[in-house]
Amino acid sequence: MRILVAEDEPLLAKQLATALSEAHHVVDCALDGAEADFLATTEAYDAIVLDLGLPKLDGLTLLRRWRDAGVVIPILVLTARGSWHEKVQGIDTGADDYLSKPFRMEEVLARLRALIRRASGHAHPEMRCGAVALDPRLARVTLNDVPVSLTGHEFRVLSYLMHHRGRVVSQAELTEHIYAQSFDRDSNTVEVFIARLRRKLGSTFIRTVRGLGYRIDAQS
Amino acid sequence: MNSNSSFRLRLLLGSVLWTLGLLALAHMIFRAIFIRPHFVFRSADPIIIGLALLFAISGLMAVRSGLIPFRRLRQRLLDVRDGRLQTVTGSYPNEVQPLVDDLNSLLEQRDRAVREAQAKAGDLAHGLKTPLAIIAQEAEPLEREGHTELAVSIRVQIERMRRQIEYQLAQARAAATGNTPGVRSSIKESAVGLSRTLHRLYADRAFSIEIEASGEHFVRVQREDLDEILGNLLDNACKWAKTRVVLSSQIANCELLMVVDDDGPGIAPSLRESVLQRGVRADETAPGSGLGLAIVRRLAELYRGSISLEQSSMGGLRATVRLPVAG
Repeated sequence: MRILVAEDEPLLAKQLATALSEAHHVVDCALDGAEADFLATTEAYDAIVLDLGLPKLDGLTLLRRWRDAGVVIPILVLTARGSWHEKVQGIDTGADDYLSKPFRMEEVLARLRALIRRASGHAHPEMRCGAVALDPRLARVTLNDVPVSLTGHEFRVLSYLMHHRGRVVSQAELTEHIYAQSFDRDSNTVEVFIARLRRKLGSTFIRTVRGLGYRIDAQS
Repeated sequence: MNSNSSFRLRLLLGSVLWTLGLLALAHMIFRAIFIRPHFVFRSADPIIIGLALLFAISGLMAVRSGLIPFRRLRQRLLDVRDGRLQTVTGSYPNEVQPLVDDLNSLLEQRDRAVREAQAKAGDLAHGLKTPLAIIAQEAEPLEREGHTELAVSIRVQIERMRRQIEYQLAQARAAATGNTPGVRSSIKESAVGLSRTLHRLYADRAFSIEIEASGEHFVRVQREDLDEILGNLLDNACKWAKTRVVLSSQIANCELLMVVDDDGPGIAPSLRESVLQRGVRADETAPGSGLGLAIVRRLAELYRGSISLEQSSMGGLRATVRLPVAG
């Protein structure tokens, strides 16, 4: 999954980016509110980690602006402002979850997983499509309960398709969600990942919808 | 003459009328006493007596009406004290208006000072929490590298610092605002916002928060502090509840009782006092629990209120907080 981290303290932003990458996410960082606003409105993210005390444009203003503009990306507010009054304000302005600093990294990862899962309409942490099961908590994939080893890119492609199972996902959409902004994107590589996944998980698991994209059937 | 015109003019008019009336009456009495044998009731006398009484009475009324603005001022001051008004409203006689304006600017100055203190306390907390978050993250690799003891020690100390910051911040904010006049917050409004937030924060858990507090119940507590008190109470209840949390309110002896019940495991009577003590946890497994109730107790005390814990009829904990009522 692709995540935007909006945090003005460079060290903390780097720590978050590292931890999120280790959990198989791709991460873009914005060090001020204006950059965060630009990225959130021009790029495709699956979740945003937002600090409220950002320079240039503060987090609450961003939240309000994004929600008014119809941005539905799940947003986790990560802030030093930890009073209940501020939490109510944050949630009422449009945050999906609220965590105050200092925090445990596991907590951030767990809450992001839950946000992404709920945003795609799934009630259970572990996702299962036929013989294939994906557990975002452990970044683990099994086929008939036997663990399958996947690379980071393969995992992200599969995770995105499974979060949006039952729906056709275009190659362009997949590309947007598995690469960071700075990465030189090449949609041909998506075909390569799909081919590798088919080799590992069975040739009919991921269907090609000609001219539109890929789909994993909800009941496959 | 409208009620805001000069207080001096009214007093002058009142006393002139009063004096004229008295003079006329004195004249009649003087005549009745000293010229009694020859006293003859003249036809003009009833008119003079009537006029004298009329003058005296309207003089009294003029003075009385001159004093009405003072009664109104007193009422407004009581309103400010009890939190029904932020500033002294209305216009007053020319001689009193400057005093009212000074009072209002004093109230405004206080408000400003309170807001600045809040901003400073917030800045301090923000300034400390981000570095703390960084240190916490820096310490995480230590555990993987085998320095488990060091990693745990750093984590524990960071948690202690976090608690100190939260507790002192909540207290500093309340201490700065606790005695500000003109404060009035609705229990129900605060509870509805918090309930929305808690449902979001515990989105993966199924429980209900039932708000049975009256929309007519107001406390003389700053909104931020009421949110902090109710937020911690409800959060604690939600953390432990199996399916239900109920908030109700009632007024008794000029105090407002907010009662939060849950159907969780409750707290053993022997531990109830200790969870209200600063920084003590009844159960070390739930992070951050315990501190919440200690903050509630401190805030309630700053507003001359109190908190008590007992067994709920729903099976879990019942927390009752008493706070001063705002009319």
